[in-house]
Parts: sequence; structure tokens; C-alpha cells
Amino acid sequence: MHRFLLSLITLLLSATVAAELRIGLGGEPSTLDPHRYNLRIEETVLTDLFEGLVTFAADGSVAPGVAESWQTSDDGLTWQFNLRRDARWSDGHPVTAEDFVYAFRRLLNPATAASLAYFMYPLANAREIATGEAEPHTLGVQAEQPHTLVITLAAPYPYLPERLLYPTGYPVPRHVVERVGDDWVRPEHWVSNGAYTLKDWRPQEAIELARNKHFHTPATLAGATYVPVASAQNAFNRYRTGDLQAIAGFPAGELERLRAERPAELREAPLQSAFYLAFNTTKPPFNDVRIRRALALAVEPRVLTHQVLKTGDIPSESLVPPMVPRYTPPALPHANLPQAERLRLARALLADAGVGERLEVTLKHAAGIANKKASLAIAGMWRQIGVRTRLHQAELRAHYADLRQGNFEVGHAAWLGEANPEHYLALLYSGTGDTNYGRYANAEYDALFEQAKLQADVAARHALLAQAEAVASADYPVMPLYAAASQRLVSTRIRGWRENARDVHPLRYLAVDP
Amino acid sequence: MSLAWLARRLAGVVLTFAVIVAAVFGLLRLAPGGPFDGERALPPEVEANLRAAYHLDEPLPYQFARYVAALAQGDLGPSFRQKDFTVNDLVARGMPVSATLGAGALVLAAGVGLWIGISAGLRPGSRRDALLMSIASLGIALPPVVAAPVLVMVVAVFWQLLPAGGTGGPAHYVLPVLALALPYTAAVARLTRGSVVETLAAPHLLTAAAKGLPQRRVLLRHILPLALLPVLSYLGPMAAGLLAGSVVVEQVFDLPGIGRYFVQGAINRDYTLVMGVTLVYAALVLLFNLAVDLLYGRLDPRIRLAR
Amino acid sequence: MKPSVRHTLFGTPAAAIASVLLAAVLLYLAVGASLSGYALEDIDWDAMEAPPTATHWFGTDLAGRDLFTRVSSGGRVSLGVAVIATLVSIAIGVPYGAFAGYLGGRADHVMMRIVDTLYALPFVLVVILLVVVVGRSTLLLFAALGAVFWLDIARIVRGQTLRVRHAAFVEASRGLGAGTVHIVLRHVVPNVAGPALVYATLTVPGVMLAEAFLSFLGLGVQEPDTSWGVLIADGTENMQAAPWALAIPAGFLAATVWSLNILGDRLRDRLDAAVRSG
Repeated sequence: MHRFLLSLITLLLSATVAAELRIGLGGEPSTLDPHRYNLRIEETVLTDLFEGLVTFAADGSVAPGVAESWQTSDDGLTWQFNLRRDARWSDGHPVTAEDFVYAFRRLLNPATAASLAYFMYPLANAREIATGEAEPHTLGVQAEQPHTLVITLAAPYPYLPERLLYPTGYPVPRHVVERVGDDWVRPEHWVSNGAYTLKDWRPQEAIELARNKHFHTPATLAGATYVPVASAQNAFNRYRTGDLQAIAGFPAGELERLRAERPAELREAPLQSAFYLAFNTTKPPFNDVRIRRALALAVEPRVLTHQVLKTGDIPSESLVPPMVPRYTPPALPHANLPQAERLRLARALLADAGVGERLEVTLKHAAGIANKKASLAIAGMWRQIGVRTRLHQAELRAHYADLRQGNFEVGHAAWLGEANPEHYLALLYSGTGDTNYGRYANAEYDALFEQAKLQADVAARHALLAQAEAVASADYPVMPLYAAASQRLVSTRIRGWRENARDVHPLRYLAVDP
Repeated sequence: MSLAWLARRLAGVVLTFAVIVAAVFGLLRLAPGGPFDGERALPPEVEANLRAAYHLDEPLPYQFARYVAALAQGDLGPSFRQKDFTVNDLVARGMPVSATLGAGALVLAAGVGLWIGISAGLRPGSRRDALLMSIASLGIALPPVVAAPVLVMVVAVFWQLLPAGGTGGPAHYVLPVLALALPYTAAVARLTRGSVVETLAAPHLLTAAAKGLPQRRVLLRHILPLALLPVLSYLGPMAAGLLAGSVVVEQVFDLPGIGRYFVQGAINRDYTLVMGVTLVYAALVLLFNLAVDLLYGRLDPRIRLAR
Repeated sequence: MKPSVRHTLFGTPAAAIASVLLAAVLLYLAVGASLSGYALEDIDWDAMEAPPTATHWFGTDLAGRDLFTRVSSGGRVSLGVAVIATLVSIAIGVPYGAFAGYLGGRADHVMMRIVDTLYALPFVLVVILLVVVVGRSTLLLFAALGAVFWLDIARIVRGQTLRVRHAAFVEASRGLGAGTVHIVLRHVVPNVAGPALVYATLTVPGVMLAEAFLSFLGLGVQEPDTSWGVLIADGTENMQAAPWALAIPAGFLAATVWSLNILGDRLRDRLDAAVRSG
């Protein structure tokens, strides 16, 4: 009986064993329209389906994509991209400069309601078009030749190629979109220009990709499936049972055992990201710099990363992550004080501000084990200076909605992304809008930041940005904590996987041993 | 069971449904935050574009009228979050999964529960009765919240006997159905035992037994129909309970059912998706209860006469 | 202890086990938090997610907090939520059922029709919506769960009221010219409260499971407070690396729910027997 059951189960199972690569995805994409996407998980899939002017190399750096090469004018305002002749859509149509003009205008057209349209605001007239003050055809992008694209900027922006890595810079198949409208994203109409094309999409279950025959450099793997998982524990279970061959997240508590037992499968890398505490600088008593300073002094990022989280995160004293190249952050005023001294100073500041041991703080954080752990530890550190902390956990979206609306006292926040300091320091610029969560406003900071944005030369730009950060760090509008680390489990059967600071792993560089 | 009675009941179902539509619509619009809050922030002008695209800039009564008009044609609208699918699409895809899960658990709970309950109830006080009932009472204390993670860990991860999650074949449903059915199996067993014991004590059975009717026949003709009644009336609440439980089970086993849409929709304030799933759930439960009522009327002679 | 009480609590082996188990759990909830030497929010920086040891008898959680303390304190919250929600359900259900039963006729019909309709709703889902919309608050949890569970009580009380409606003491006070409200509250309710309370013992484990369900979906009690549901949810997220963090609260929840069910059933059976013989 027992044997019969077992063989029955084996039989049932055998039908489900995947012939190709199955990769866990930390959630369900909300769309595969590159202009309407919003989440990282969507970026992952879109990177395989489309190719922009530039694309990711296997190590996550910028590599030529549809554009073979590009030149910049001396003033940094005009960029010419030379497109490769053999770029094709998955239905065989050639990819031309016109496709990009169409795509960029579509992205910024208010009717598209693209939530990340502002990624392309460096282009001339982009903001005006998105707000309905200008017509889409006035956008700073021109097809000079079928294979020559010229982009005109509003102000110098040396990081343009990196910005074009996002799906917001991907082309869409005009000939399909104009024929079937919004339905073009359905598998039955799907046409894309990346190494892979969409074979099927069953929500919450599977996104199946198949090799694009017309892609200029055919990929090794014939196909792959992204499998959305509901939690890190589920992902780990399904990886261990062999159902998935690569997963992005697993329960944090497993890390130490995995380091010891499965070192070949565990892929760890620092992630280009800034995790920090934002103080609401408009809300008493947090409008008092002494309070903000005291709270910041009591927090020891190193204890957080090395004793609490223990997931390889890198403590940071600057809002700009340490792996951002060509930027030297200013030294923080309290950087070299021993912890006992910092605590003493913090208590003195609280007493000076007249709150003594009566301060109660509400710390808001997004759901998720790591966020919760960090927040609990921070609450523990504040207890040492007599501050009582209430934690408030909310789902990711609700949490950031609260932060943006200024509906918080202290918030645990994360900013993921680019290799340019401006991307992070804009969070403290008063003209940024609601992602300057704490509504920090300092005229001196703003002036330096605006001045930096006019520089075409990267070194001059970064020097001004470092000056600006030095001004802000004396005001403690935020408390930088750490750059997170990414951990993935990747089967040893997969070859070509390279961990990197952007945590991107395009399928076209991968192969699977049988 | 007159036609008038049926009409009255149907009218009640429709009215209840209408109240649910209005209540859920109002509730969702009260929520703080919007459906477009994401990992990355939206500039106000972009958010305005989005709100206009989904008619969220209109006054509430207009939005409600728009929703009801579409609903009357069976259209649950676009999903705010799953932008590439309509709510109808998503429900149509998720429904078979949830229905398989729910029906499997219902059949398992009713079948096994009845069997245990009858075997125990026929000999109350016996050792067999005590054993079966202690096992059943353990089941009550194992809700899906406890049973599902434990089953995954032991059966799927340690023994590697069954899949840990996802879809792909009947094997993928074994653990989820088990985790969902456990407490209800126990509840049905206890209910059945109780009513079997009670029925056995009824005078007409003593008469039947005295007349010397074969035991099996007494069981089938006289005991079961009466003993089934309480179980039947438990089916309604049980269906509602299974529904809630399936939300947890789909989460733990990565099943692409509508329960996952419900949770995600609620968390992401995807108004139309949550509305859609809630309305489908409500309609199912209402119809199920109606069916149980009809069945009840057929089985119970007292009610048949009263109508 | 009166013989009848002793018989109820220890009459069968299952009841005896349940009584002892429940008593042990209650004792732990009462004094557990003060025995461990750790407060609810104390962080042991050197023992993050540590297995049970001599210093941390139940191990620690993901932030290095003592689980012996947290499971005890979480149990108080779980049981507290359940008891208060049950009281809310009694407060609504008893008068509702008593008035319906006493008034009879059309009023009774309409009132019970409403109960039937509410029964048919996927109510736990409505509670989820409510929690998502209004935000998490323990108070709301009490109220929402109580509002779900009063239906059972209302039905039972109505049934009991029908029995006493024409009893001598009710007729007598009606003869003396007492008003409906007075009769229901002063004469009917006290006479049907017993059965209602017995059934309420079965509501308590029901609410505990509902709380665990909500917490599992991340909609329960907020940190730094905790409950068994929250502890189970946290444990599930890391069940292979720290199985004790799942097994201990899950075991406590299962044991408590089991004991309450067994004892509640026993009480109900004995009450039924008493009603029948009386």
C-alpha cells in the first residue's frame, strides 16, 4: 500500500518537472507594459523581454544595446545614438529610431498615465508634456536617420545612459500597439525586441518566456519561467524541493546555515541602495535639530548590520551608498565618537531640548522581516537614552504613501537605484516634492544642489554635491543607516550568473547544465 | 415549498447582495492612500493623469453609478494593479483553483466527518467512540494557520513527498485540501455523532427496532435522514469558513486562486479587484445557503409541512 | 468544589486532561512574563533568534527578545481579545435574541431573517476589509470580532426565550402592567443567560482562531505588543531556521483551543441534560 502510494505520487510529480529554468519572482507583476510599470519585479522580467538604447552587461554595468555607440556635445545637451542595423522585433520588423521617438512620446503623454514618466524628465520639454503644458511632438528626441537618434536635454545630465537602462527607456512595437491598442501586452499579441518574448502569462502562477529568434545575439537558453511566490519562506521551500532553480529572497534566519552548507549556491552582493531614517522636520518636536541629532547619535549602524541583520549589509554614514563611484561623501560630525560618548551627548541634547526622558516616538516601517528587525533594534537603541518608541508597520505601498504625505514622525525608508549621487541627494532638495519625506528645506543646500545640476563635468558636479551633503548633515534631516545586500540562491546547474550591485541577472547571459 | 416562498428567498438574496455592493464600495473609498502608491513616488501631475484614467476624479455617486451600471452587465471593471487584465479575467483564472480547493475540502470534511461521526455515534460510550472523538477534537484545534505551515515543512520539505507549492497537477492540491479540511472534518464528525446519538433515542426508532426491522435498514431509512439535518445546516457557515481558510492556504501554498487576489487587492487598495472578489465570494455563499435551504426543506418533513 | 462541578471538569479523561492543560496555560499566562527576568521589549543583543537555552527557556525571536515572556504576554492578548469579543457578542446577542423571542410574530420574523442574512456573509473577509481601511487597532479587533460572533448567541437566546415566554413569572409581571423592555431585561434575560454563557465558552476558542487568522495575514496586533497569532505568523516566516518560534506559540494556541472546546462541549451537554430532565 505504502509503495503504491509513493509510486502514485512520483507519477503525479513527474508531470510537473520543468524542462527549463524556473526562477522565483518576489511577487506578481502588475503589468508588462514597460511604460506603465512601477516595481522592481517588473523590471526583472522586462529586462529580458526588451532591449533599450543601452542594456545591462552580465555584471550589471551599462553596455551598448540597440545603440552601438553614442556621442555627447561639449555642452552636454545633445546626445547622438547610432543604432545597430540588425535590431529586430520578435515578428521580424526592424527596430528603428522612429520606434524610440514613438516610445518616448508615448511614455510622456499624459494619456498613457505612466507612473514613472518622470524618469525621462532630463529630456527637453519632458515635464511640460507630462503636465499637459506642451504637445508630445515637442519632446527633445528626433530620428535624424532611420538608425540615428538624437536626444536633446533641458540641462546637462551626464548619467543619461544609465537612466536609459530603465524600462521607461524601452521601445514598444508601434505597429502592434496602433493595431490592437492596450491589448498589445497580452501573450496572443505580444511582440518585443529583447532576447526573449512572452509565451504565456498566468497571473500568480507563471510567466513563460521563449527565445526571440530575431534577436541579434541569440540567447543560449531556449526559455525560462518566472514563478511569482507569495513569501520568502515559500520561495525557499520550493527551491529546496527542486521546483525553482533560482530565488531572490529566502528567510533571513537561514543565511548563516546556507553560508556553511551551500556556499556554492548562495550569491551575496552589496546592493546599490540607501536605507535611512527620515525625520519629519515640520512636526514638533522633530523640528528641533537637537532632538533629531540625539536620536541619530543613539543609533549605531554597525550594530544594526553586524549584530542584528547579519545579512551582509554595509553600514553607511552618507545618504549616498558607498559603492557609488567618483563620489567622496563628507565626514559626519559625530563619526569618530565612541558609542558611550555618543549616548552621553544624546542624553544631554534631549535634556537641553527640555524633553529629558519623556520623549515618545512613533517609528513607521514597511512590512518585511528585515525592516521589522532593524526597526525593533533601533527602538532598543533609543531605549538606552530614555526614549520610548512605538512601532507602526504597514504594507510597502501604504507605508510610502504615509511618508510622502508627511503622515509620520520618524520613518524607516529605502531608496534603491542608480550609480549617481544626485539620485540620493535629491531626497533632501526642497524642490523635489513629496519624496523629500521630512520636508527638509535649507536655502544653502538648495543653492548648491541647483548649481551642481548645471555642471556637465562629473567631477565638478560631484564636488558641489558633496558640499551640499556636508551642509545637510549638520541639520540631521535624515539618519543614514546602511546599503543593503542582496542574497540569492542559484542552483549550481546554472552557469553565467554574476552577482552585482544592481542585482540584475538577464537570462541571455545564462546557461543551464542538464 | 411554494413558489412564493422561493421568490421571497430570491428577493432576499438580491437585496442582501445590493447591500454588500454598497457597503464594500463605501468602505474601500474610505481607505487612506490610493491604488497608485508604489515603490517609487509619483509626481502629482502623473497621479492626476492616473486618477483621471480610472475615473477616480469624479464625485463618488458618479463612480458608484458607473460601477453598478457595469456590474449589471457582468463587468467587474479593470484592475488598478493588474493593469494588463480585467477583474473578470482574473476571477475567471483564479476561480477554478479556488473552487477545486474548496470543493475538495468540502467533500473531504463532509465525507470523512460523517463516517467518523456515524461510527462513533452508533455506539456512544464505547472505546471506539472515545478514540474517534478524541482524534476529531484534536482536528478542531488545528486551523489552517497552524496546519498548513507544518504540513509544508514536514511532508514537502523534509520528506519531499508532495510539492511545496504552486500548480501543475492533482498532487499540488493534496496538502492544501488537507490543511483546509482538517478543522471542518472534526466539526462535522462531532456534529454528526451528537445528532446520531440523539436520533437513536427517539421513540419512533425504538418502535422500528421493536418491529424487528434489519439494523442496516433502520440506519439508512430512519437514522441518517434525521441525523443529517444539523450537518446540513452547518454547511452554510462551513462554506463561509472554508472561504476564509482558503485565503490562508492559497498564501502558504502559492496557489493562484482568488483568495490571493483578495489579500493583495485589500493591501494594495485595488478597489475594483477587492470589490470583484468580495462580490464573487458573497454571491457564492448566498447561493450556497439558498441551495442548502432548499435541500433542508426536502429532507425535513416538519419543515415541508410547515410551508 | 461541588460534586457537579467536579464531574463537569473531570468526568471523562478528555475533560480531565483539558482542565489540567487549561489550568497550566492560565497559570503560565498569569505569571510567565515575570518569571523569565526579561521584559517584553528587552533585546538580548548576543542572542538573536537563539534556540531554547537555560537563559531563554523558549528561545528568542528574530530581534533577540525572550520568547518565554512574549508567548506569555501574547497569550494574554489572544485570550483577552477572545474574552472581550465574546462579551461584546453577548452584549449584542442576548438582548437581540431575547427581544426577538419575546415579541414574536412579525418582529421576530424580521429580526431572525436579518440574522440569517448576516450568517450568509463571508464575514471574516469584511473584517479584513475593515482592518485594512480603518487601520490596525486592538480595540477595533475586539469590536469587529464580537460583531461577527453575536449571531450564534442571538439564535440560542431566542430559542430559550420562546421556552420562558409564557412562564408564570413572565405572565405575572405582565399582569402587573410591566412594560416590554422591563419584562425582557428584568425577567427574560436573567433566565436565559445561563445557556448563553455556556455557549459563549465555545465562542472564545472561535475568536482566538479568527484572531490568529487575521494576524497571519499581517492584520493583527501591532508591535511591540504581540499575540499568539502574530507569533505564529512570525514563526512561519522562518520556520526551518527557528522551528521553536513557530512550534511553541502554535502548540499553546492548539492546546488552549482544544481544552476550551472540550470543556465547552462538556458544559453544553450537561446543560442540555439538565434542561431536558428539568
